[in-house]
Amino acid sequence: MMTASPSSPTTLPLASPIEPFSPEPLRWVAEDGRPVRDLPARYTPELLRELHREMVRAREFDRKLVTLLRQGRTTFYAQSSGMEATQVGLARSIRVGHDWVWPYYRDHTLGLAMGVPMIDLISQCLGTNSDLCKGRQMPHHFGSASKNFVSISSSIASQVPPAAGNAMAQKYLGTDEITLCTFGDGATSEGDWHAGLNMAGAAKAPALFVCENNQWAISTNLAAQTASPNIHIKAKAYGMPGFYVDGNDIVAVMEVCGYAAEWVRAGNGPALVECLTYRVGSHSNADADAEKNYRTRDEVNSWLARDPIARVEGLLAHLGHPVDAEERADLISAVHRAVDADVLKAEATGQPDWRIMFEDVYADTPPHLREQAAFVRAEMEGQK
Amino acid sequence: MTATQERPTGAGETRILTLIQAVTEAMREELARDERVVVFGEDVGARGGVFLATAGLQAEFGPRRVFDTPLSEASVVGAAVGMAVRGLRPIAEIQFADYMGPGFDQIISQAAKIRYRSGGQFTAPMIIRTPSGGGVKGGHHHSQSPESYFTHTPGLKVVMPSTPYDAKGLLKAAIRGEDPVIYFEPKRLYRAAKGEVPSHDYTVKIGEGAIRREGTDLTLVGYGGVMPDAERAAAALAAEGVSVEVIDLRSLVPWDRELVLSSVQKTGRAVLVSEAPRISNFMGEVAYVIQEQAFDSLLAPVGQVAGFDTPYPYVQDKVYLPGPNRITAACVKALNY
Ligand SMILES: Cc1ncc(C[n+]2csc(CCOP(=O)(O)OP(=O)(O)O)c2C)c(N)n1
Repeated sequence: MMTASPSSPTTLPLASPIEPFSPEPLRWVAEDGRPVRDLPARYTPELLRELHREMVRAREFDRKLVTLLRQGRTTFYAQSSGMEATQVGLARSIRVGHDWVWPYYRDHTLGLAMGVPMIDLISQCLGTNSDLCKGRQMPHHFGSASKNFVSISSSIASQVPPAAGNAMAQKYLGTDEITLCTFGDGATSEGDWHAGLNMAGAAKAPALFVCENNQWAISTNLAAQTASPNIHIKAKAYGMPGFYVDGNDIVAVMEVCGYAAEWVRAGNGPALVECLTYRVGSHSNADADAEKNYRTRDEVNSWLARDPIARVEGLLAHLGHPVDAEERADLISAVHRAVDADVLKAEATGQPDWRIMFEDVYADTPPHLREQAAFVRAEMEGQK
Repeated sequence: MTATQERPTGAGETRILTLIQAVTEAMREELARDERVVVFGEDVGARGGVFLATAGLQAEFGPRRVFDTPLSEASVVGAAVGMAVRGLRPIAEIQFADYMGPGFDQIISQAAKIRYRSGGQFTAPMIIRTPSGGGVKGGHHHSQSPESYFTHTPGLKVVMPSTPYDAKGLLKAAIRGEDPVIYFEPKRLYRAAKGEVPSHDYTVKIGEGAIRREGTDLTLVGYGGVMPDAERAAAALAAEGVSVEVIDLRSLVPWDRELVLSSVQKTGRAVLVSEAPRISNFMGEVAYVIQEQAFDSLLAPVGQVAGFDTPYPYVQDKVYLPGPNRITAACVKALNY
């Protein structure tokens, strides 16, 4: 039923302005905010302001979460600062709540931009009773069934074969949904990554694979990760188009990912997009010494100069609608207040008690787990 | 049998090291001693590993001997097998034991079997070092204790030290041995376990346990991250007048049956402690051997304290781990049987 003819070509509408396998990342907007291609009409100042707000919100969320870490109220966080255009742009490229997402652990900006309530993210990071994932997984590994945003797994690339299967089910069920599967550049070295792309390709499943290439996998850079010149070229091996995008240009991300998503949705099979971006912060709080250990300040500075938020601000200014400083400051303090309020709300729900540990291991609790739970209950009562 | 052998008397200088420093030192000395030794894995080079176990080694020995790999455990383990077959002594790091999954097939299908399937023509003497266990608020992808999967696979040696002395001696023994060794490092003891480590060269034989505390009323057997809590429980019981013998297995495959059996024959009671989930826990094997070989000495059923059969939880990390109170309670139960 899910057979693809091996000789069937990877067809792209010829009229498309979006070329696969471009040697340089596609971009619409230059670093200073000037368009370098015709800006499609939908990028009105209103839309651009909205995108700007979402990116600022994500950046400030990062800042606040780092503060929570310092205060010892959570124990792990992996910032996505610098990657806002990629993740906010991705959220705008799919049909949120209709399509399915198999994200990776640096995707909270994607989640926020998809409309996962901030308190859900915060609750997960704090492991409170308001955590939809019930305090099971380490901080920063949320999931949201209402958005078809599948709970994040730490194990790199382990989401890729399931994403292929999710897409195969969508095809089998005859839906017009697609599956978005994201990962870092490091993930593309894992066997699971290759297995997942190969499977989706063979099944012509509607999967959109997106590499958020921030160029580092902890301390391993792209050149040490693979001898390929880039990631998207690997799509050739799996019979799908590979697109190369400037991931700090939100217009480019939305144009290419939006196009690829609809191409996938049209039944052409999977596609791979590589968004070239940079994580300007450390890998996680366990790695606060990045600049000392493995990368240079100069490199970080050169990417700070390509900041995705500044680029949208530049574009708005170019269009005659500059973001005014006061408005920006208000926006930032509003995000900080919102995070503070949600933290208090989440903390007020308390920490889940020991019973939660024995739930959801299976659909119904087998005898040995009931015994183990009874053992802990007796222990707890004895301690009172 | 071994607690006395392991510290040669009058053997000169010692220093106080943490467990992780002892691991680093073992690798440094073996890199210096044997050209065939290479160290590699994800982020082990410039960064020195996520826990800094390999910190400074690349600077000292260069990127030919100490190097980063692509993010692929299958490649890391599989490449180690190939290097070992070709005559190197690879020490491969898996960043967290939880991520042995992607390398699992290479461990059980290649590393563990090559000697047997080739009639001994080809062998893979190699080490897979990996931080394991809980207590660091890591949730289930950074806290698991997967040792039983590997003890269930013939062809692999499995060790887990709990002291800096053993960490160094066992790692050196593994590097000088002829078999693939899975070397689990209890990550919560990396910096918490401090102890004397001799400056001179020594090894700790794989397969020998150690008596941490002598006793006559009950034998408490553990390994890895639970050992400090086992010793705390024994100390608490000593204050109540109960004499507990504490054994650190140190090696799971092979394990020191004689040491455990002779202790149980003396005390008549055994409580086995590990933090891995209970079902198919390695300690089930220890319990079986005790009942088979020392049944007549037993005054009480063999007690077991283990992790629960749930994925490792984040928030309930403390409830999950068998702390000193739970261990003490299991001992009291055996004593009152
Ligand atoms: C299977 C597996 N191996 C190792 C790790 C440890 N680890 C966590 S993040 C990371 C780097 C991932 O880099 P990349 O995929 O590029 O994503 P990025 O963090 O750069 O966004 C590693 C090695 C893991 N989580 N899972």
